[in-house]
Amino acid sequence: MEAIQARHNLADMTYINPLPVRIWHWVNALGFVLLVLTGAQIRYTDIFGVLTFESAVKLHNWVGFAVIANYFVWLGYYIFSDRITNYHPVLDARKFATNFFQQAQYYSYGIFKGEHSPHQVQPYDKFNPMQRLAYQLIMLTAAPINFVTGLMMWDTQRFANWIAAVGGIRVVDTIHVAIFILFVFFIFVHAYMGALGRTPITHYREMFTGYEEH
Amino acid sequence: MNIKPQVLVIDDDAVVGRSFDRVLTKKGYEVSTALTGEEGLERMETNAYDVVFTDIQMPGMNGIEVAEHIKSKCPWTPVVVITGYGTEEHEAKASVLGVKGFVRKPLTPEIIESITLKAMEKQAEAPEAANEVVERAAEEVAVEPELNPSTLRKAGTVAKNIVLFLASPFIALGYVIALPALGFYMIAKLSWQALRTKTAAS
Repeated sequence: MEAIQARHNLADMTYINPLPVRIWHWVNALGFVLLVLTGAQIRYTDIFGVLTFESAVKLHNWVGFAVIANYFVWLGYYIFSDRITNYHPVLDARKFATNFFQQAQYYSYGIFKGEHSPHQVQPYDKFNPMQRLAYQLIMLTAAPINFVTGLMMWDTQRFANWIAAVGGIRVVDTIHVAIFILFVFFIFVHAYMGALGRTPITHYREMFTGYEEH
Repeated sequence: MNIKPQVLVIDDDAVVGRSFDRVLTKKGYEVSTALTGEEGLERMETNAYDVVFTDIQMPGMNGIEVAEHIKSKCPWTPVVVITGYGTEEHEAKASVLGVKGFVRKPLTPEIIESITLKAMEKQAEAPEAANEVVERAAEEVAVEPELNPSTLRKAGTVAKNIVLFLASPFIALGYVIALPALGFYMIAKLSWQALRTKTAAS
């Protein structure tokens, strides 16, 4: 029975997300939700009244540092792993554009007709072209920018020179909030896309087990 | 002559062969697969392999018999037994045959890659290694060193990976700017072609 199960596992599953990635993902998910909630509380005090402004700021800061530390877990893992290829750019622009539009066609039409995704998930190429582009920008641009702007607002005295260099605290705040709105949008899209597996919970289960189910 | 390291995977479950192929081909190996022990041994008569993986339980010839045949004909070739059924008896017999190791299912890409590297490293260290293999390794270094996975690792793959990683957001921004324009161009082109076809038909 065990042997049959082992054979079944190998036949139907591909190991896509190793343990460090899964730990990072779920810590990050929890951190992002808390940051969004506390951020909304800080920004819109007149609308939300769950926490006091001071408590919300304190919690937002602590969670922010945890998410930054967690980001370095992700960064360190990928930099020293062969799986870094998942975040590499596709240098053949024609090929990338073709695959990108094929994927867009799938998401806008084919998926509703029950077609298969044109991209096959593989350990060293797990993202489809649209995901690849999105994650490159989110993980390597948007997230670091929000960490830095968050740090600037955490201690405006310490980072006074940086704040002045980018045009003042209003600019820093606007960038931070704009990316916060982007992340809120991302969380909803991400959760929705996560439900588009073979069953609504397949992709969620995969993010716990690490195995992509075919 | 093929200069990539040659790997043979013998397993009656075709998915196993495909898993090895998917992982190792990207790493610069050439993977051949066989569904039975007999087919695997036939392949070995026409091609020299740097490492052979064999399932232990297959219809017809089992993995231990395959290892026996390989060790009698090409004793220098490292054989790794894939098993979900590992028994002490099997492992003891295989060890006597000089099997290089066991790998248990389910296999992850990391396991596949590391066991292959380990088997090949042992092979390179073995004094009785066949001249052919040594010559081929030498040719790999002389002709296209970047095709040797271990050389790849040691010769700056990490640096290249990091540079590409850091460059990716900038290239992604370029795509973000270019793709909408390209999308409109493609829609316009398709529309124009459809219009011309319709005009020609009428």
